[in-house]
Amino acid sequence: MRLPRFEYYQPGSLAEAVTMLSEVPGARPVAGGTDLLVNMKHRVEQPAALVSLSRVPELAGVRSEDGATVIGGGVTLKQVQNDEGLKAKFPALTQAASVVGSYRHQTMGTLAGNLLQNTRCRFFNQSMEWRSVRALCYKAGGDYCHVMKKEGVCFCTYHGDTAAALLVLDAEVRVEGPDGSRQFPLAQLYSGEGKAPLTLGTAEVMTAVVIPEASATDGASATDGASATDRAAGGGSPAGGSVYLKHALRGAIDFPIVGAAVWRNGDATRVAFTGVDRSPLRATVLEEALAGRALTPAVIEEAAPLAPKGVTITRSTVQPGSFKRDLMSALFTRAAGSLL
Amino acid sequence: MGGRRILTLNVNGDDYEVVCAPNTTLLEALREKAFLTGTKRGCDLGACGACTVIVDGQAILACLSLAADMEERTIRTIEGISEGGDLSPLQQAFVDHGALQCGFCSPGFIMSATELLAENPHPERAEIQRRLAGNLCRCTGYVKIVEAVEAVAQGTDGGSR
Repeated sequence: MRLPRFEYYQPGSLAEAVTMLSEVPGARPVAGGTDLLVNMKHRVEQPAALVSLSRVPELAGVRSEDGATVIGGGVTLKQVQNDEGLKAKFPALTQAASVVGSYRHQTMGTLAGNLLQNTRCRFFNQSMEWRSVRALCYKAGGDYCHVMKKEGVCFCTYHGDTAAALLVLDAEVRVEGPDGSRQFPLAQLYSGEGKAPLTLGTAEVMTAVVIPEASATDGASATDGASATDRAAGGGSPAGGSVYLKHALRGAIDFPIVGAAVWRNGDATRVAFTGVDRSPLRATVLEEALAGRALTPAVIEEAAPLAPKGVTITRSTVQPGSFKRDLMSALFTRAAGSLL
Repeated sequence: MGGRRILTLNVNGDDYEVVCAPNTTLLEALREKAFLTGTKRGCDLGACGACTVIVDGQAILACLSLAADMEERTIRTIEGISEGGDLSPLQQAFVDHGALQCGFCSPGFIMSATELLAENPHPERAEIQRRLAGNLCRCTGYVKIVEAVEAVAQGTDGGSR
């Protein structure tokens, strides 16, 4: 399957990249390409120009900075999962990075790219031929949403793994654009819309992910998660820790049907999900029910049914909503249980 | 920036000058410009691993890599795996263990496993399975492939590495 035609720019610095993105009409940034190039082959995205971020040195490396861990946007998922410091401090993140797609995607794909991946739908992520039997869907440039069976809406779902982990770790993202740089909470990166899921400007580049030291696991040792369709592992000490659990159709290579991340420190618990709505999200209703309570098996069991509350699950995947709701409760129960 | 360009790609130690457009993938450059057809085009969407090649020591998907990004990098394909005309220990183990049938997926598996053994010469079975998970095989059922890699990892097959 050939890629559509585009102009290609290979800047050698961040400033150059931002300039090209602001000056070249229709330009989009590309790093690992494992999401964007597939969509381009499917002709659901056809940018006039691509600006490669692979030679931008400012996006590399993991470092400490004023009580926070700063991970460059261009750091690959393979580098994230193999970083001993990140493994010990933020096991949910390294677990999530280790279950994205296949190992090859983890080698090519970057952390920023994983966060910035497009939303997905069974009517959108298909070849041109497959899609040609129906009217063009709203997200692909048409008027009609085949999931909701009406015009002018899009319920494409966000399926990135690392976003859920970074949400419970209270991460922020750093962005560089024509007007300088800004830093804001990860949740604000997502618009909540299926068609245009990100809030970034067209010339903005995500330069780093910033995780506060307060979210680190103290002295916990993370084990690598990789088994069958439920891939994850515990990464908690008695005092707390974080964990990411994912359920996918295929254990070896797939987007999550549902992914769940849980962070705990003493009586404080944070829970986030991916694969269930147009944005990755914190489970606010569930978190309110858990607020100030020590996690025990009884508390987890009582709170688990609240996991899907406030989430708009649609049939953007082939699995029914009831199944996804059950999965949310089940994955929360298992993930929270591993932190006891 | 939008036109064709002559790229110099270093593949298996040889420089290839190939004319590529910006939208030419590494897979297309290898197969259609350098005529190195050992690297296979499977799904062409990054899901099957048949196009796996090693660039600067990292096993990547050639179908989702742009040829324009590959200048000044060291590319290794299945054609560069054999040693002086002999099969590499890993290739020999694939033969010995019946780890290939139709053979279409084998170049990708060999490249993935070659990267794995270079980074970790003695991986556990679970690690082998995890690292090969992005390569699909419709013939063998994977067991013999994992056994072949395991044999090389344990030094019980294919000679020394």
